[in-house]
Amino acid sequence: MENNEAQLQGLDDPASGSAQSDFGRHSREVAYLEAVIDNLPVGLFAKDASDGFRFVLWNKKQEEITSIPCEQALGKNDHELFSPDSAAYFRQVDELVIARKRKFEVSEEIVDTPESGEVWLHTIKVPIDDVEGQRTLVVGISEDITEQVHASEQLAALNENLTEANQELKTTQLQLIQAEKMESVGRLAAGVAHEVKNPLALLLLGVEYLSGGIDPCDPNVEEILKEMREAVDRADKIIRGLVDFSSQRQLEMEPTQLCDLVEHSLLLVRHELKKDNIEVVTRFEKDLPDLKLDSAKFEQVLVNLLINAVHAMEDTVKPKLEIILSSAKLEGIERDEGLRTADHLRNGDEVVLLKLKDNGGGISEENLQKIFDPFFTTKSTGIGTGLGLSVVRKIIELHNGGIDVRNRLLGGVQITITLKVPARGGNELT
Amino acid sequence: MICRILVVDDETGFTKLLKMNLEKTERYEVRVENDSTKALNAAHEFLPDVVLLDIVMPGMDGGDVAAQMQDDPLLQSIPVVMMTALVSQEETSQDAVAQAGAMNILPKPVNLEVLLRCLEEVLAKKN
Repeated sequence: MENNEAQLQGLDDPASGSAQSDFGRHSREVAYLEAVIDNLPVGLFAKDASDGFRFVLWNKKQEEITSIPCEQALGKNDHELFSPDSAAYFRQVDELVIARKRKFEVSEEIVDTPESGEVWLHTIKVPIDDVEGQRTLVVGISEDITEQVHASEQLAALNENLTEANQELKTTQLQLIQAEKMESVGRLAAGVAHEVKNPLALLLLGVEYLSGGIDPCDPNVEEILKEMREAVDRADKIIRGLVDFSSQRQLEMEPTQLCDLVEHSLLLVRHELKKDNIEVVTRFEKDLPDLKLDSAKFEQVLVNLLINAVHAMEDTVKPKLEIILSSAKLEGIERDEGLRTADHLRNGDEVVLLKLKDNGGGISEENLQKIFDPFFTTKSTGIGTGLGLSVVRKIIELHNGGIDVRNRLLGGVQITITLKVPARGGNELT
Repeated sequence: MICRILVVDDETGFTKLLKMNLEKTERYEVRVENDSTKALNAAHEFLPDVVLLDIVMPGMDGGDVAAQMQDDPLLQSIPVVMMTALVSQEETSQDAVAQAGAMNILPKPVNLEVLLRCLEEVLAKKN
């Protein structure tokens, strides 16, 4: 295109002016219009629908976008300028614009260009009858959106990476929880073995008694068999408890009675409690609603807290552990504004409260700030890794619950776990 | 001669079967005390020839019971055999147990033959 000016083929024909004075004015208007058109930040083109959709307008931006100079484009149609696929598509849209006599918007289309390769365009096509109404033009306005499309592709890729990283983080968190649990299993193993050895000892004595020959008149036989059966059940229960506890699964929330989990956890730490002569008092409100919990992970919470309480009461003369389960409506009760209350719960929520009270030495104010920090421990090296409570909090967060730890007025620590009761038929925690 | 054995262990099923097995030999008379805090009273009443003592018990552990027997002029000469389901040697060789004057420590599950031999040895030494 000479002088880089847009040309309106046939539209700037001076012969169409009626007088010489008009011609001057007309030329100025055309020049003005051409300047405007050429400086538009969007590609502007027009095709003559009555003449095989040949291009009659091709502005400077359109040259930039397509890498096709104006003089090469004018008088040609799409098939002469673009790839067969692109040309067919453009023609299809053009015909639609003419047939329906209305504006048509293509939010994303691709043009193969010799210099810039694939160029993404956002194009609006409008049917316009020229002044004399002799022909119909398809006027197109194209915005080069290649950069936006690439940016959006990059953003989508970044977003995918972020989602992957987030998933990896979640997996790592679950792995950390599992690793901490296996450490607990190691610590519990001796106690569990003790609990299994007792029924085994009974079984051996039963076998010894019966292997001497069974006297049908011996009243002991029935009693021995009953005891042996119970011993097998007891050993089975404790081993199953440990296996369930150590099982590695994804987060599996199922309707669960919290009191059952408390009972199971007490069984796992029974040896530790007995060894330190700890009195355990449980008060469970009747008919508590089911909670949606991952039982293996929640048992990990309870076992960690119970073991902590056992350690906290090592120097207590009459160690006593109280475990209280009750239901409440969060509204109207005083919100625990404790140091580490998670914020998932709302007033008005129906909740189950688990309170664990020990009468050990309590926690210093300074340490109370740090107890949930990973690797913080007051225990000697080799006894604790300092991951127990941070994992406890993580698991409770996974259950959208809250945990509050505070010293009791008369010594010892009270831990309150607040768990939301799922709405009936609802899937809040799934 | 029938010897008197006091069994102190909180495992009720285990003690029941231990009593049955020991009494079946017709060589022993067995008294069971499942509450370790009542062990000393039972020992005073029963005056056993041997005390079979569990280590891990609520209330008072076996080490404490044995230590108190040592301090009691009437009971200090009674031999004590410890039984335990504890697994690690570290736990079974705790100072409390070692100092409690226990003559023997038997692991649970207790093999009856081993237990009877142990009781015979302990009683032979005592006499």
